[in-house]
Amino acid sequence: MVDAANTVTPDRQRVELAALSAPAVLFTLAMIAFPLAYTVWLGFHAFSSTGRQSFTGLGNYSKLIADTEFWHGLWVTLALYLLSLVLQLVLGIWLAMLLFNAKRLPGIVRSLFISPFMMPPVVAGLMWLVILDPSLGAANYILQAAGLPPSDWLASPIWVIPTIALIDTWQWAPYVALIVLGGLQSLPASVYEAAQIDGASAFTTFRRITLPLLLPTIVTAVILRSVDLLRFFDIIYITTQGGPGNASNTLNIYGFRVGFEFFNIGYASALMLTLTVIVFGVVLAFNRLRGAVAW
Amino acid sequence: MSRSAWATHIAVTVAALGAAPTAASAADFDWKRFQGKTVTFLANNNPVAQALLTNKADFEKLTGITLKVDGYQEQQMRQRLVTVMNARSDEVDVFMTLPSREGEQFAAAGWYGDLSAMAKNQAAKEYDFAGLSQALLKAGTFGGKLTSMPMNIEGPILYYRTDILAKCGVEKPATIKDVEAAAQKIKACDAAITPFVSRGLKPAVAYTFSNMLHNMGGSYMANGKSNLCSPRGKEALDTYSRLLRDYGPPGVVNYSFQQISALYRSGRAAMSFESSNELRTVMEGGERLKDTGLMPFPAGEAGLVPTAIGWGMAVSAFSKQQDAAWYFVQWATSPEIQKRMAVQGIAPPRPAVANDPEYRKWIDEQPVRKQWQAALDLLATKGSSEVGYPIVANPESREFIGQAVQDLILKQKTLDQACADADKGLDALIAQK
Repeated sequence: MVDAANTVTPDRQRVELAALSAPAVLFTLAMIAFPLAYTVWLGFHAFSSTGRQSFTGLGNYSKLIADTEFWHGLWVTLALYLLSLVLQLVLGIWLAMLLFNAKRLPGIVRSLFISPFMMPPVVAGLMWLVILDPSLGAANYILQAAGLPPSDWLASPIWVIPTIALIDTWQWAPYVALIVLGGLQSLPASVYEAAQIDGASAFTTFRRITLPLLLPTIVTAVILRSVDLLRFFDIIYITTQGGPGNASNTLNIYGFRVGFEFFNIGYASALMLTLTVIVFGVVLAFNRLRGAVAW
Repeated sequence: MSRSAWATHIAVTVAALGAAPTAASAADFDWKRFQGKTVTFLANNNPVAQALLTNKADFEKLTGITLKVDGYQEQQMRQRLVTVMNARSDEVDVFMTLPSREGEQFAAAGWYGDLSAMAKNQAAKEYDFAGLSQALLKAGTFGGKLTSMPMNIEGPILYYRTDILAKCGVEKPATIKDVEAAAQKIKACDAAITPFVSRGLKPAVAYTFSNMLHNMGGSYMANGKSNLCSPRGKEALDTYSRLLRDYGPPGVVNYSFQQISALYRSGRAAMSFESSNELRTVMEGGERLKDTGLMPFPAGEAGLVPTAIGWGMAVSAFSKQQDAAWYFVQWATSPEIQKRMAVQGIAPPRPAVANDPEYRKWIDEQPVRKQWQAALDLLATKGSSEVGYPIVANPESREFIGQAVQDLILKQKTLDQACADADKGLDALIAQK
């Protein structure tokens, strides 16, 4: 016989679940909604150089549209994003295939392969700053030893973006590899057996089977890297601070400088909200793509 | 004595009396007055603060005040300060500040507490307010309010390799033209050596460039407008960028004090125009002790107008315990503490400390320290604290100066274009309220 008093009705269960999850929901709201709302509020205000604030409505946003530095920052952000993403995907997938097929690779070698992304970006930035120093760094020493001309690396307006993309790729391609490796390990063996019976070459197997089956995993890696790359800050700030000139002045660096060096918090908030919208837009687009390529 | 001279004499005497603590207040001074309180100090983790904080325990013992130190690198410190001050928070009681950079801005924003009355009425007998560098006190005074007390004196000076100059048959440069001539000879004499290095990183350029501009007789502003396209301004831009482009290291556009000191210390630069504060870093390891000479940056058409600035200690306008905070500021900028900091290589902003026998003994230990002190003496007497534009948006003005110099180093613009673009942006900044 069931004790009626101890029976949990669906309504009561809902209330209990709501009560139990309320603190976590409230905490999350406080940590995400409040800063976001405050930034929106700041974006509607103009701050003078002396910190005086006044409501300006969409003034900061119309200023942004006319600001050549904003458009330049957007261009730099997108160029760096696309270059880094492509490099990291190509190298990450290649590295994942290497690790997947080299089953006898010692654990320590595997760990070394994936170690760069465990290094704090500040340490990585400082390390590369020393390596790429045109006068004292190892990079030019190696180039010259190989009979090649030295490069200005981070000091060249032309080479600064590719150089930063290379540093980020060195650090984060292993992370992409780790995600892709997880995807490779979950692929069904039966498909490969069928391909083998049909006499498919290694390249055909990769192009017709591995790559399409890996697409959802790859899109996940793209989403994760997109969020980071569009908000890229640390290594740029440590190595170039947006220079030379404004050649590496991404939106994030520009917003930081406007806010914390020139004290225009309102305009900086408008810049950062615009960047947030871009990040959300890219993530949403890739999320839809992930749905389309799911199997 | 003429009537006007008498009037001046009386005015100066009255001002001096006004500035000095009254006998009664000094006699009544009690270091333990704020025992049990906690003062929060937002510090820039640079050699000045490091030297000061080696004495932290002495302050706490003397006053019974607990000193909570919130230390960051310079940029992060400002970031934290902006956040705290915009929120009008009382989290920070005392903070380090560069009046030459942010003084106008912070004063106009109302972030500085007014130290005028505290320095007058709440100073210990031994504080010797009048003994502080008057130039630096003036640099920290805005709208008649004293906003910070000087912690040190510093400025860019020329470090040069005596052995390389001798090897290449070059005399110690006496003028800016001599610097370029020397660099040219060194380049021809030893291709492995960088003849000249100074700051090329955009936000850092103004610190060294200002010295050259002033030595050449230029000024940042004239008639309320930016003046970089004036003949002197153009000459300074051209000379500074040409020195770095033709005789500087590759990648100089990313060079600030860290890279410059590393290059010079490693023995790969013949002349380095960098901060006097870098002496300790440059001499680390002792390799440059015997082959380095120091001097103020050589003269231009206007003679020697060195840049002289100093870190200051300010009390937050939002601190709820400004009196206790002032006790810390007073202790930290007292003759005794500045003497202790001086023998750790922090140039004192008090002429009396600079003449103290113990400090002189430290100076006399090495010839390079004597030259360093001689250069600092000149900075103290002839220095200008104008680094970048004397406007509220000074930090932003430095961007335009740096951009113009970088455009010329990288040959991205002609001299006329670079200065005109800078002037246009700077005029807009000057017009901002």
